[in-house]
Amino acid sequence: MGAATAILTEDQRDCYQELTNVAMGQAADRLARLLNAYVVLPIPKVSVIENSDLNMALQGAHSDSSVSAVCQGFIGAGIAGEALLMFNDTSFASLASLMKYSGPLSQQAELELLMDTSSILIGACIHGIGEQLEIVFNQGHPVVLGQHCDMNDLLNHGNNGWNRTLAIEIHYTIEHVNIECELLLLFTEDSVKALNRKIDYLLD
Amino acid sequence: MTNPQIEISDIHWLMDILQNIDVGLLVLDRNYDVQLWNAFMEGHSGISPQHAKGKNLFEMFPELPETWFRQKAEPVFQLKTRTFTIWEQRPYLFRFSNSRPITGRSEFMYQNTSIIPLESVTRQADHICVIIYDVTDTAVSKSDTSKALESIEAMKSHDALTGLLSKEAWLPVLDSFIQRAGKGETNGSLLLLDMDHFRDLNGQLGHAQGDEILKRIAQGLQNLSGEQNCARLGGEIFGVLLENEDADAAVTTAERLRRSVSALGKGRANVPPISASIGVATWSKEICDAAHWLNCTDKALYHAKESGRNQTSLYQASGPAS
Repeated sequence: MGAATAILTEDQRDCYQELTNVAMGQAADRLARLLNAYVVLPIPKVSVIENSDLNMALQGAHSDSSVSAVCQGFIGAGIAGEALLMFNDTSFASLASLMKYSGPLSQQAELELLMDTSSILIGACIHGIGEQLEIVFNQGHPVVLGQHCDMNDLLNHGNNGWNRTLAIEIHYTIEHVNIECELLLLFTEDSVKALNRKIDYLLD
Repeated sequence: MTNPQIEISDIHWLMDILQNIDVGLLVLDRNYDVQLWNAFMEGHSGISPQHAKGKNLFEMFPELPETWFRQKAEPVFQLKTRTFTIWEQRPYLFRFSNSRPITGRSEFMYQNTSIIPLESVTRQADHICVIIYDVTDTAVSKSDTSKALESIEAMKSHDALTGLLSKEAWLPVLDSFIQRAGKGETNGSLLLLDMDHFRDLNGQLGHAQGDEILKRIAQGLQNLSGEQNCARLGGEIFGVLLENEDADAAVTTAERLRRSVSALGKGRANVPPISASIGVATWSKEICDAAHWLNCTDKALYHAKESGRNQTSLYQASGPAS
């Protein structure tokens, strides 16, 4: 654990948390406007995780049942990372009614919901963080990691060309309805150095 | 603005890039009227930019799913956020032909799209840009991969010669039966059928004839119990799950099976008699899982073999007796 935390100081961690607080607030606001519902804001969790712990980090988020997930790469000013949005499969019924999707909730309809929500949440969050750091992030195309799958199967195909990553976990819930999703922002190891420089500049 | 000459030439080559870039670009205003239409769009749609400009997108392409597209585009106008669609949602936004009409294996072009907000001087997003990516190759190779995986899965779960389930695929069927039986929802018997002296038979008839006999038996078992309830467990050993058959009924069925296997040899000259030995074990509360049940049935089968073959033997907890 000592080696893993070494790439972040306590101040830097607080700073990331603050940045994320602002960004996810903006994202939640957009989601709330889209869904016309109150989005509960959690405290984001900033940590440095080892490659081998990524699965565990994900599982902590959704220990039970099956999930659906999309990921999307982003890059800007030499800082690269990936956003991962995971929905507990039990969330889709409520999500469909909030987003006024009519018709039966097929796998296809769930994919639409997944894509619509991820566009909003990931886009706003990345944009919010970028804005504070004065970085324009370019987003790649989203990719569906899997629908109705076991958490363990979700990341089996990763290339694992990295050892350690900065992970920001945001657990969104929506008041009074059964919607739970987890947004995970993962930065590559190289990017963390560049990000830390930006952060240190803010801290000074 | 000191040198407008340069600005105009900059715009000129920027426009050249937009025209020639190999992705589709179109700009729409708040009414979904087309403001920009690049060469990719012109080439694939056959509609020139002059013709497209100012036309309403939905009037120009009535087959375009308006409600769906608005759902993706409105957040871009309202929230100034990017949205994306992928071919898994809808294969395409515009039905264009495959850009490789001869060697391409899909009739149409699969498309991903990004919709991005374009801000005016008032910081309002009053235009959006739709970017169309040709992802046909990705989509085709993904569907190839999943087809290949499916067929590997089918090969693993089915025996190639007879088409019956393999042992690996059948064990879960037995396990779920045992679970249901444990809850009192069903009961039944398990039957193992092993051909007698099959190696000799193969030697005398030839492997092609031997395979033919195995296929006939497999067919008979499928007709008897349904596809899910029988399997080829090894070379010439078959398993059959007889739902709702108690010991008496199962032994009767087994005897009928045994006689029809013997009948396969009738009418063949200079052929050793074809026969099978059968072991039967009826489900009881003591059976804990598929392996255990198979083991009990195997004991009965062994007893049938030991007692002279071409007969049925029923497993009893204290020891098998026919």
